[in-house]
Amino acid sequence: MPDYLETTVDKFVFRVATDRLYSPEGVWALAVGDRIRIGMTDFLQQLNGDVAFAEVKPEGTVLGIGDEVALIETIKTNVGVPSPVGGTVAEVNPAMELSPEAINGDPYGEGWLALVDARDWPTDRAALLDPEAYFELMTGQAREEANKP
Amino acid sequence: MTEPFDVAVLGGGPAGYVAALRAAQLGARVVVVEKERVGGTCLNIGCIPTKALTTSTELLLKARRAHEFGVAIPTAAPDLPALMEYKQGTVDALVGGVEHLLKKAGVTLLRGSGHLVAPTTIAVQGDTGVGVTVSARRLILAPGSITARPPIPGLDLTGVMTSTEALDITDVPTHLIVVGGGVIGLEFACIYEALGSRVTILEMMPTLLPGATDEVIAQRLALLLRRRGMTVITGAQVEAVASSGSGFAVTYLDAKGVPSRVEGDRALAALGRWPNTDGLGLTEVGVKMDGRAIAVDEHLATSVPTVWAVGDAVSGPMLAHKAMVDGRVAAENACGGSRTVDYRSVPNVVFTRPEVASVGLTEAQARQRGADVKVAQSPFSANPRARILGETDGLVKLVCEAGSGAVLGAHILGPHATDLIAEGALAVQLGATADDLAWTTHAHPTLPEAMLEAALGFRDATIHFRAR
Repeated sequence: MPDYLETTVDKFVFRVATDRLYSPEGVWALAVGDRIRIGMTDFLQQLNGDVAFAEVKPEGTVLGIGDEVALIETIKTNVGVPSPVGGTVAEVNPAMELSPEAINGDPYGEGWLALVDARDWPTDRAALLDPEAYFELMTGQAREEANKP
Repeated sequence: MTEPFDVAVLGGGPAGYVAALRAAQLGARVVVVEKERVGGTCLNIGCIPTKALTTSTELLLKARRAHEFGVAIPTAAPDLPALMEYKQGTVDALVGGVEHLLKKAGVTLLRGSGHLVAPTTIAVQGDTGVGVTVSARRLILAPGSITARPPIPGLDLTGVMTSTEALDITDVPTHLIVVGGGVIGLEFACIYEALGSRVTILEMMPTLLPGATDEVIAQRLALLLRRRGMTVITGAQVEAVASSGSGFAVTYLDAKGVPSRVEGDRALAALGRWPNTDGLGLTEVGVKMDGRAIAVDEHLATSVPTVWAVGDAVSGPMLAHKAMVDGRVAAENACGGSRTVDYRSVPNVVFTRPEVASVGLTEAQARQRGADVKVAQSPFSANPRARILGETDGLVKLVCEAGSGAVLGAHILGPHATDLIAEGALAVQLGATADDLAWTTHAHPTLPEAMLEAALGFRDATIHFRAR
C-alpha cells in the first residue's frame, strides 16, 4: 500500500500515490519488475466521471510515448488515455472488461490499465514528473476546474 | 393440365408472395406453388415467431423492473403455454393475411411440392399424391433456404435443437449451449436467457455476428452479454457434440487452439442456412448454379431466359426484406421490365438485447475499399429518451467519407436499433451526408437524437457529450 499526498479542492479530495511517476496528462507509471504498470490518476478519474467502458489496446500493441493506450467511455465523455511510456503492451488488466468501475474505485490499485514492456524506460522516465511535482500540477488543474462556471 | 399463366412462382415465402403480388399489380395472371404455408420460413418458423418470443421476454424483463418506473407488478413470470399460443396466433394471423392478399389480387395458390420439368413448366405433387403440371410464360424461383448441416459430429443427435425446434418452448433449460454466434444463435440466446437459462455461446470467428455489423458494435454486444453472466467464447472451433448424462457436451478448440469442453442440458445448433435448391429439377432444365445458390445476374435472371430467381435461394444476405426486394425486381422483369437489384441500403437487424442494426459499410470495409474514412460515435447514455426508458446501453456509429461527410454506413447497438436503422438506410440510399443528418431536426426527446449526435460528431461538434 503506497502513501499518498492529498489535497482538497472545493468539496473533492484528490490523492497522489508517492511510489510512482506521472505524466502531466494524469497517467501514472510504476516499474514492476521489468515492466511498467500504468493507470489513471485519482484526479483524472474524478474529472471524467463514472467509467462505463474501458477499451485498452490489446497485448502486442506497439506504442510510442503519448500514443493512446486506452479509450475510456464514461457517462459524460469519451477520453483517450495517452501512454506515459513507449513500448509494447504486455498485459491488459482483465478486470477492465467486466468491472472498469475499478478505475473509479481504486485508480492506483485494482484500476490499473496495462503492463507495458518499455522500449527505453530510462529516457521515458526522465520525462515524467515525480509525485510532488505532479501533485502541484494537479492541484493547480483541480483549482482551475473548480473555478469554471 | 391447368391453363397457362403469365407468371408462375415456385415458393410462397417473402420473395415468392411479394413477387406474385407485384406481378399481379402489373396485370399478370399469376400462380404460386407452395408446399407448406405461405409466408415461408419468415412467417412460420423464422422472423415472426422469434420476434413474438423476443417481445414477450422483453416485456417479462421490463415488468420485473417496473418498480424503477414507479409501477408495482408483484411477480412477473413466463407462462409457457400462453407464450406458445401468442406466438402461434401471431403467425396464423399473418399467414391468413398473406393468403387474403393473394386471393384479393387474383393470384392462384396451388398447394404441393413443385419442381421444374421444362423452362416454362412446373410439375406439382399435392399431398394426396395427385400431380398437376403448371405452365407459365415466365417462372420465378423462390424455394428459400433450409437449416445448414455442416459436418460436425453429433449435430443430428436427438435433442440438439435447430432454430425451428428452439421456437417450441415447453420448459426452460438450466444451461443452454448455443453453437453459432450469428443472428439466429444470439436472438435465441437472449430469449432463453430472459426465461431463466444460463447460456454459453460458441462462435468460430473472432467476433460475434461476423459479417453482420461493425466490429465495435459486435465487441460491445459481447461485453454486455458477458456482464450479464453469459459465457461468450469466440474463436471457438467446435469439434463435436456428444450426449453427456441427460444433456450434451460440446468439445471445441478455443481461440488459442486448446482443446476445451462445455456441458449443458440443452444445445442449439445455429450454424446458418443453405439455399434450398436440391431436387427441384434446376440443373436438368439448364439453370446454372453457383454452389448451392441459383446463379443470377443483376436483373435476377438465371441462365434460362424464361426463369428468374429470388430470395434465400440466390446469393446475398438471407434476409426477408432482401427477399422482398428481390421479389419486386424479378416480378417487374418477368413482366417486361429491366430493373437491377441494389442492395446498398439492405440493413442487417438483430433482435438481441440490446438490439443491433447495421446498414452500409463497416469501418473496416470502408477502409479496405480505400475510402478516406472518418467515424463518429454517440452513446445512448447521453440520450435523454434512452435514460427515460432505462435503456442506456449501446451506441450509434456512423462511418463517413472524410471529405464530403457522405454516410457510408450506420451501425446501432441499443434500444429500438432495428427501427432506428431506417434513417441510416435512407441516408445510405440517398447518399446523404453527416451534415444532412445533423441539420435535419430530430424531435426531442427521442432515440433518433443519438443519430443526430453522431452526425454532429463528424464535425467534432457534439452537444450532449464530450467526444475525445
